[in-house]
Amino acid sequence: MPSPFLTPGDQAPLDSLALLHLRRDQTVPTILRAHDDEGLGYNEGKVVNTRFGSFPHSTLYHKPWGSQIVASKQKPKAAVAASSGFLHLLYPTPELWTASLPHRTQVVYTPDYSYILHRLCVRPGSSVIEAGAGSGSFTHAAVRAVFNGYPSEQQQPETQQQQPPKKRKHGKVHSFEFHAQRASKVREEISEHGLDGLVEVTHRDVYEDGFLLNRDTSTSPSTEGASASSSTSPKANAVFLDLPAPWLALRHLTRECRQQETAAAAATSTPQGGIQSALDPTTPVYICTFSPCLEQSERTISAMRQLGWLQIEMVEVNHRRIEVKREKYGLEFEGARGAVVFPRTVDEAVDKTRTIEERTRRFREVMKERDARGDQLPLGGLMREREGEDALKGEAQGEEGEENVPGYKQGRLIHRTEPDLKTHTSWLVFAVLPRDWTEEDEKRCCEKWPAQRVIEEVKPKGKKQLKREERERKESEKQ
Amino acid sequence: MHSYVRPNQYVAFRLPSDATKILKVVPDTMIFLGKYGTFPANQIIGRPFYLTFEVFDDASENNGHNLRLITAAELHAETLIADGEGDGDEPDVNGESLPMRTNREIVDDGSAQKLTLEEIEALKKESTGSGREIIAKILESHSALDQKTAFSLAKYTLRKRKKYMKRFTVVPMDVSLLTNYMLQEKDAARIMELRDELIGLLGCWANVHHAGNSPLDGAVASKPRGRYLVVDETGGLVVAAMAERMGILYPHDGEDDREQQGSDDVPSTEGAQGEQQPASRHPRHTHMSAPDNSIFLLHANKQPNMSLLKYFGYDQDNPSETHPLYSHLKPVSWLQLLEPQEDTIYAQEPELLTSDEIAALKSSKRSTYYRKRARWERTQAVVNEARAGGFDGLVVATLMKPISVLRNTVPLLSGSAPVAVYSPVIEPLTEVMDSYSTARKTAYITKRNQLGQRRQEQEKTTGAAGIDSQDPFYPELAEEFYVNPTLLLAPTLETSRVRSWQVLPGRTHPMMSGRGGAEGYIFHASRVLPTQQTIQAAGNPSRKRRRMDTGATTADSSTGADVEMNS
Repeated sequence: MPSPFLTPGDQAPLDSLALLHLRRDQTVPTILRAHDDEGLGYNEGKVVNTRFGSFPHSTLYHKPWGSQIVASKQKPKAAVAASSGFLHLLYPTPELWTASLPHRTQVVYTPDYSYILHRLCVRPGSSVIEAGAGSGSFTHAAVRAVFNGYPSEQQQPETQQQQPPKKRKHGKVHSFEFHAQRASKVREEISEHGLDGLVEVTHRDVYEDGFLLNRDTSTSPSTEGASASSSTSPKANAVFLDLPAPWLALRHLTRECRQQETAAAAATSTPQGGIQSALDPTTPVYICTFSPCLEQSERTISAMRQLGWLQIEMVEVNHRRIEVKREKYGLEFEGARGAVVFPRTVDEAVDKTRTIEERTRRFREVMKERDARGDQLPLGGLMREREGEDALKGEAQGEEGEENVPGYKQGRLIHRTEPDLKTHTSWLVFAVLPRDWTEEDEKRCCEKWPAQRVIEEVKPKGKKQLKREERERKESEKQ
Repeated sequence: MHSYVRPNQYVAFRLPSDATKILKVVPDTMIFLGKYGTFPANQIIGRPFYLTFEVFDDASENNGHNLRLITAAELHAETLIADGEGDGDEPDVNGESLPMRTNREIVDDGSAQKLTLEEIEALKKESTGSGREIIAKILESHSALDQKTAFSLAKYTLRKRKKYMKRFTVVPMDVSLLTNYMLQEKDAARIMELRDELIGLLGCWANVHHAGNSPLDGAVASKPRGRYLVVDETGGLVVAAMAERMGILYPHDGEDDREQQGSDDVPSTEGAQGEQQPASRHPRHTHMSAPDNSIFLLHANKQPNMSLLKYFGYDQDNPSETHPLYSHLKPVSWLQLLEPQEDTIYAQEPELLTSDEIAALKSSKRSTYYRKRARWERTQAVVNEARAGGFDGLVVATLMKPISVLRNTVPLLSGSAPVAVYSPVIEPLTEVMDSYSTARKTAYITKRNQLGQRRQEQEKTTGAAGIDSQDPFYPELAEEFYVNPTLLLAPTLETSRVRSWQVLPGRTHPMMSGRGGAEGYIFHASRVLPTQQTIQAAGNPSRKRRRMDTGATTADSSTGADVEMNS
């Protein structure tokens, strides 16, 4: 089954994940089904109920991705369009999935994983180790980055392998999780999302057992040595450790895996070199560890230095979402929702005060007038007479102002950081481990590329130097 | 993947001063790193990346070899020892028996160093030992060295080392490295001050990835997969970043395993010929003809500016046929996209000759004929494909107004396809956000419904056959709204910045200085297919319906009412 994450096609297929976008940051992931297996008693088959209406799956599957879907009334037999409510049918992407996935642990969000994958040089065809699968957000982003074909295609070249050894490496994510329930949950999700064969989830404590694959972890440590010989290396090009103690896992990520040998040799008598390295021997290996506390990173870095990792760097990612809106701002917005009713300029402030002064003055006049006449004329009538003039004046002012501008263009366009801010996610420690380079390798390379073989001195010459040489040459010709 | 240094490849040299130099490694030539030394290129070809070498001046006695590999252990030992202590061992800071050394006695006028400039210059001329003795001499001649605190001594040594050590590290060329190189060493404005973290975000939000290889995936195969629209005014950096994600940037991708098998005898690529070999191994598509996994590059001139792609072996004026971008990168000018008939190359078909006529041509004329014919066919195919739309994503980094780009490209995207726009400054993107605001969407829908009703009534009275179009066009609507705000869902604006820290025992703190300049923002959203039905957001239907009936006056007043449903 093609994964909707990687090759969604044109329309939402049955039995595949679709995201139902209700509103910003509110997306319901669902597997589209023709029949209601849970038997909730709807005649329309399976139904998604949201606060924005009910959506039978029959109105969703086989619709083009991106469609706006109208809610349905709960009617027997067939779905009838409701008068209100809708959603948008989107294909899943790691970003949308990260925003909507069921949280099991802390999630690695888009700003972090986008940078991590970029820095780890994770590319189509790469092999990635992820330890601490957690909620699976990084897993999905990583599989997108390494994807370069489904594993079913892999079998074709394998059959041809007798002939010219055609080796196109297929990208794969090797995910490790020590929490049994979480591991099985991730495995289930991976399968539902059509990522089988692209992601391999292993339930394992990597501090103890390392990163080699197909190792029977259910057996006791004493049989480990025996099964180790049948284990294969993930040949990782990149490693992402989201663990509480990355330094404990680092010892399993060396080129020659000495530590593993000694650990295993303590229990059994594994022949030397029986355990391979989990890393790709032909490429540099990039690593990133993700730790919330500074102390963890310091310890990790110290371990990295001891194990020969290079270019160690620690960074933090600061990410902000920015909201943009039109702020209604000015005296004329009195009564408008969310408006700041305040003079826009000093002039407006002066005008406003002047108007109030004027009104007060008039009020006093009226009072005086009434007192002078000595009669009991109703005060309100007189005032209303005067204020009528004011109101007219105000309207005239408004017309030349914002009155003709449609609501969506009124006010001032402003932006500010969204109120909920993630000020710290984790420390990211990056490093790289170069390929092993032995003296034999160097010797071979020297023979292949002899250093004394230099055809010409093509030292980049400056303009001045060229001119001077030209002059010298001419002079020597003269002589 | 970057397995080893290939001949004729661009690689980066990281120097002790933290500067980066990018050079092409041509076999049998010398490589010049300025004051950090000179050595034959053959000494690094075939070697793995990320190794650090020390340059010795005297090469004669050793077959021309003047590089020494420095092991990781040595590098780290130097860092930690030069820093005055091992891990977790901090004698100066809290040792009670020792008086704490401070800088109160230190005179700040530079008189403590007894070596003169001339003496140092003379030392440099004599020395052959990659700068080590110079540094030792300088430290020796510092009269107040013992007054320095351990930390300050470490800093002093480090500074001297940066200046005099003849060392370099070979780093593979990739997008991340090129980005930092352009930002720090070259003209940051040329790449619109695009930073690493924003490139990462841009690619993720635009969901740019490899399309897979199999054309036989049953129902999905109907449509070509993984076609992205890119607007790139950074000289090719964005195209390179997207191509890297799609696996079409590096000419040698996927070959490393084989090379390594062969490496038991010798690294097998043979100089310049080595680059030609893959052509026979992988049957490639012709120029700009890859159906899947391709980049459509929209550009504002006759030719796109893709000069930075040269670092990845792709010369835009004379592209190598073996480079993946040769068939996967398809440039289309805005004129070709919007008014193709006005573009000469597209519109003027070179006259089709019969085979007899071709045979009669002179050979130079004949090749010109074929070339022109091929160019026309190519342009026709690429432009028509671009105009047909159905793209899987849009990535924009433009000097133009982004909203004008979106107006012309968003309709070309398939449903649910993401849009990601980069801008160094925020103002162009707040404009975009405003153009797709909820209030504007509501106003647009209201107006469209009114116009639809009016047209229906007109058709009833005139008796004209109603054109029951799925998406009727209303000129009044297009006039009031520059873009159709209902085509993008969940428009979001964000920014991200990476801060790096120094981590040393007892001295962990953020780096003291960094790069300022443009903050850099990303706008992203998803293309959707809005229904043409008159629908309301969920809420209080009875009240809403009444509003609809009263017609025109509600357009503006209802703006805030259904915020919940529209974004």
